Amino acid sequence: MKISYNWLQSFFKKKLPQPAKLADLLTMHSFETEAGVRVGKDYLLDVDVLPNRAHDCLSHQGIAREIGAITGVPSLFGKKPQQAKESKSLRVSDFLKVEVKDKNLCPRYTVRMAIDVDVKPSPKWIQERLKICGLKSVNNIVDIANYVMLETGQPLHAFDFDKIQGGILKVRRAKKGEKITTLDDENYDLDEDILVIADKENPVCIAGIKGGKSPEIDRKTKRIVLEAANFSPQITRQASKQLKLRTDASWRFENQIDVNLTEGAIDMAAYLIQKIAGGKVLNGLIDVYPKKVRPRKIGLDIEKVKSLLGVEISKKEIVRILESLSFKIQNPKSKILDVIVPTYRLDISIPEDLIEEIGRIYGFEKIPSRLPEASIIPPQRNEDLVYQNKIKDILVNLGFSEVYNYSFVDEKEIELYQTKPSLVEVANPVSQEQKYLRPSLILNLLKNVRENKKYFEEVRLFEIGRVFEKDKNKVIEKKKLGAVLFPADFYYLKGIIETLLNKLRISDVWYDDKLEKDNLKRAKVKVGNDLLGWLGDSIFELDFSKLVELATEERIYLPPSKYPAIIRDIALLVDPGTKIIEVLNLIHAAGGPLIKDIDLFDMYEGEEIPEGKKSLAFHIIYQSNDRTLTDKEINKLQEKIIKTLEEEKGWEVRR
Amino acid sequence: MLKQLKQKALQEITEAKDLKKLEKIYRQYLGRKGELTQVLRSLKDLPEQERKEKGKLANQVKKEIEEAIKDRRKKLSVKGGQDKKWIDVTAPGVLPSKGHFHPITLVQREIEEIFQSMGFSVVDGPEVETEYYNFDALNIPKDHPARDVWDTFWLEDLDLLLRTHTSPVQARYMEKNDPPLRIIAPGRCFRHEATDASHEAQFHQVEGLMIGKNISMADFKGIIEEFFKRFFGPDVKMRLRPGYFPFVEPGFEIDIKRKGKDWLEIMGAGMVHPNVSKAVGYSPAGGWQGFAFGVGLDRMAMIKYKIDDIRLFYSGDLRFLKQF
Repeated sequence: MKISYNWLQSFFKKKLPQPAKLADLLTMHSFETEAGVRVGKDYLLDVDVLPNRAHDCLSHQGIAREIGAITGVPSLFGKKPQQAKESKSLRVSDFLKVEVKDKNLCPRYTVRMAIDVDVKPSPKWIQERLKICGLKSVNNIVDIANYVMLETGQPLHAFDFDKIQGGILKVRRAKKGEKITTLDDENYDLDEDILVIADKENPVCIAGIKGGKSPEIDRKTKRIVLEAANFSPQITRQASKQLKLRTDASWRFENQIDVNLTEGAIDMAAYLIQKIAGGKVLNGLIDVYPKKVRPRKIGLDIEKVKSLLGVEISKKEIVRILESLSFKIQNPKSKILDVIVPTYRLDISIPEDLIEEIGRIYGFEKIPSRLPEASIIPPQRNEDLVYQNKIKDILVNLGFSEVYNYSFVDEKEIELYQTKPSLVEVANPVSQEQKYLRPSLILNLLKNVRENKKYFEEVRLFEIGRVFEKDKNKVIEKKKLGAVLFPADFYYLKGIIETLLNKLRISDVWYDDKLEKDNLKRAKVKVGNDLLGWLGDSIFELDFSKLVELATEERIYLPPSKYPAIIRDIALLVDPGTKIIEVLNLIHAAGGPLIKDIDLFDMYEGEEIPEGKKSLAFHIIYQSNDRTLTDKEINKLQEKIIKTLEEEKGWEVRR
Repeated sequence: MLKQLKQKALQEITEAKDLKKLEKIYRQYLGRKGELTQVLRSLKDLPEQERKEKGKLANQVKKEIEEAIKDRRKKLSVKGGQDKKWIDVTAPGVLPSKGHFHPITLVQREIEEIFQSMGFSVVDGPEVETEYYNFDALNIPKDHPARDVWDTFWLEDLDLLLRTHTSPVQARYMEKNDPPLRIIAPGRCFRHEATDASHEAQFHQVEGLMIGKNISMADFKGIIEEFFKRFFGPDVKMRLRPGYFPFVEPGFEIDIKRKGKDWLEIMGAGMVHPNVSKAVGYSPAGGWQGFAFGVGLDRMAMIKYKIDDIRLFYSGDLRFLKQF
């Protein structure tokens, strides 16, 4: 909120600290404040009032109260405010009737009237103060209403009495179909969710938000009705949202203001009108205020102050601070203080609220910094975190860089999918490109490749992140690991998965090429019966929680054999559709336990190979843990393997 | 004769191209049947005077040859011989292909390490949240203007939202775990706002929570000061100002100041609000209290690495990622 330094000064007899100093003090004890520019003889302070203090601090009075408490400079708040001289014979109630339909929507409605006023531009000092606070000057009556709002925080509104039909103001819900043209010539359609002030026939004001055009104050206005009311924050907020109309008044009502503000504010306005616009202020006021709000009492345990702030503040100091903020202490001698909270402090309802007040005025900087006394409880091991770190380390070491992509995807991107998952749609997306929650990491990873291809010949990226799918009225949120490789190379990427799974000690991994038709995928990655994810030529995606579940840190050392290994080669011609795994299975079955390892070292189709065949070449490594193998027994095993392989139709061992 | 022998030997040693050759030379002169050994052996047959003089000279020659062989051996073993091809050691090395961690990961790991060393466990929560955990349990009532602070993404046809902060993890964790407790919860959050260099619809936070008996604001200051010192270095200064978050009371904002820089707003924090403790089922009679805080990971990374645009984090641009 824009605050005038000189205006603040008017609440104090003694000189306040310089604007920059004052801004610092406010920042450290109340609200972040910027000491702004000099405006004429005044200075602008931009005070970022915290939402819980919007009740009382969207006003010069509120900020001045804070300053009084922080600086200890005595304020003039106790002084009796100046009052207008009321007419003896003419009473407000002789002119006007007020009807409030629902006291929950409008807990208080206070009205005063003045007649024979002279509507003209307001004096310079008012214009200047409004200007520094960012408000336009209209005429003396409207300006005074705004001026009082800026000083007290209570929005006011002025009507031309002669334009109100039937001498009545009704606070009621609007009717469906009713319309209003506001002071700024905008038209609004109203309905039951909007509270209005209406005359005998029509709405003349959107309650707490904006006045209507029809009873506007103009040069010819002579008789005015002043309104200072209290409207429910909910209905104001609702209407303001629905009409997309936010005003200085609605801002304050939405945040709820003290019901007890109206009277003081309307008296101040009446006084200023009489002083500035002349005329007669009518006798009395109409004050519809059925349910009085009285100050609350909170019990504050002095021990609790120390326990929560971690510093011992003397009771004397506590009492001083609370009193400086206009709290009243009924029993300053007691260990548990009975604190009376002024009604404008709507934010204070529990002892902790009072402790905050004590702490911030005392000064957070004076609270010592110390390490807590706590029992030694070692942090819990978080498996997810342990393996997430490990997986990232492995992939980075394998040359992959980590990306953090958007959790949102474009509708168009989704079409890449052959089988559409049940997408989670964002009800209020920022843009059409961010309309859905990502069902997979790969869409954005592929996009990354497209972008990076412009600058790099090779792109290797991975991401660990959450993906989302809709399941009836729930969202299934899963963590995935996705990676992308450019240029595409299936076997390289498979090698990456194999290295990763090997390092995580996940065994029993196999690759299943039975797939639903899909352009991106080649194989499912499976561990036993569990589906771990899938793999394509350039991309893979694995289920992160499955990885964590299957991974283990257990290792058992196997001593290397003391006996030499014997390596024999086998070259084989097979049909091109033959899978390596089939050949390996046969070799293992025939060769038995003495086969330590089989290594495919060549896979070739083309020249020198008969048409429609492919050549496979293996090293077979034989080794025993308890003796040196003889050529004779190896030759026998080798023979057996060759025989087994040649029994397969169309296979031929090359000799 | 000894002089000639010495010269011949030294010449051969200098010319020796490898260790094998050098060994041969050693044997030729100093071996059991070596030339010099034989000279030394023959001394015993000489008359005393001559024996003394020649002996002295021969021993000196022996010493010199031994020294020369030793030196040469050293050179040969270091240089690996002169027949090795010359290479340019100033040419750039062949780099293995190398990946890079995302800067937010780096910052997150550092933060996790610091807090784990102070006994905080790292925990997790969902990104899709219910209104209850994101707002109600955190003392942010429906239809309250305070909710406007968190511009929320809602999900179509579902009574769910994208969490606007990591604070729901607090409530979820407290519900399932009895105090005392110390946790941090890093994670992704979402705010419905227009994107620019310092605002993103998604970002990362770390939530912290410590509950115990008599855990006070002074304890918060101690823990957080330690954290900032370890993260930004021992010169960092911090200050607390009043702040408002409905789930804490008192609430404060934390600013830090590094050498030669301005104060920077970096963290929101406060003492856990009794309404939150109540919502998660802690008995008010238990005497448990503590602090909670939230810090933006993106912001920490931006400060640490002088990154000037938050959108870079989510660009997937290798030109950016390669620098970390």
